[in-house]
Amino acid sequence: MTAPVEIERPEAEEVPKADVPWVTVVWNDPVNLMSYVTYVFQAYFAYPKTKAEKLMLDVHEKGKAVVSSGTREEMERDVEAMHSYGLWATLQKAGDRV
Amino acid sequence: MGHAAEGGGPSLSTAFRRARGGVVAASFHVVEVELLRSLVGQLLELVRDDPADLKAGDRWAAELGLADEAPSRPTDPVLLRLFPDGYREDTEAASDFRRFTERGLRDRKAATAATVLASLATADGAGVSEKEREKIRIELDPGESEAWLRTLTDLRLALGTRLGVTEADEDDWMSLDENDPRRHVHDVYDWLGWVQETLVRTLSSALE
Repeated sequence: MTAPVEIERPEAEEVPKADVPWVTVVWNDPVNLMSYVTYVFQAYFAYPKTKAEKLMLDVHEKGKAVVSSGTREEMERDVEAMHSYGLWATLQKAGDRV
Repeated sequence: MGHAAEGGGPSLSTAFRRARGGVVAASFHVVEVELLRSLVGQLLELVRDDPADLKAGDRWAAELGLADEAPSRPTDPVLLRLFPDGYREDTEAASDFRRFTERGLRDRKAATAATVLASLATADGAGVSEKEREKIRIELDPGESEAWLRTLTDLRLALGTRLGVTEADEDDWMSLDENDPRRHVHDVYDWLGWVQETLVRTLSSALE
């Protein structure tokens, strides 16, 4: 990638929000079945089974996983969909500590 | 995450499996059908319950996110688990997210539960012999299967949250006194997990 020319950077608050990528995070919970979580990732995101299983195991073993990224509006849709499936999900800016 | 009880479950029912005509099918004892009906009926009441008691016009405004009275963050842990915050560290954004999504989610969860109730109603078992009543066959088309998956999840979330289940706590529940009502509820929770596991496995095979 090209190195940027030194220019005066705007304050962080002035960056248009639409330019900031967002992520959907799914959190581990003691109730949902591993097979069901994998099924949801396949059915909703159309992920192949290997990717869906990897994400499910990340949720299970690490406590959470980033399952999708995009605009804030897209991530709000994904989080709402996860809630409709009964998964525990939140959205946040891509750079923020998960 | 949870997992279904080993060994096929303490069940009178037959697991879900693929049947002819693009449906999945399972058999349940009449007692199990009645239990499911009762639980799904309670879930329906729970997700429908709207303290704002909106009039039609207000409801329309609410669906557009224009209502003055945004749904407040549930204090009941079960409702908070069914309708969680969309943002973890931004209460204002979480409140906005709830205003735009909670009523829609409640309506969808209620409609899904109603679909499950309807599929149980057609499996009445009335007018058949006593022996046949013991095994009631339930057939689900793809839309009904999806409704069952989601409603079984909502039921397990509700029961699991009420019981306070954690990961790898099976032994604790097994060691409860047999007369302890929590043990009975946990048995139901386990059984729902087994039913869901067999349904997920059957549906997953079509995704591969």
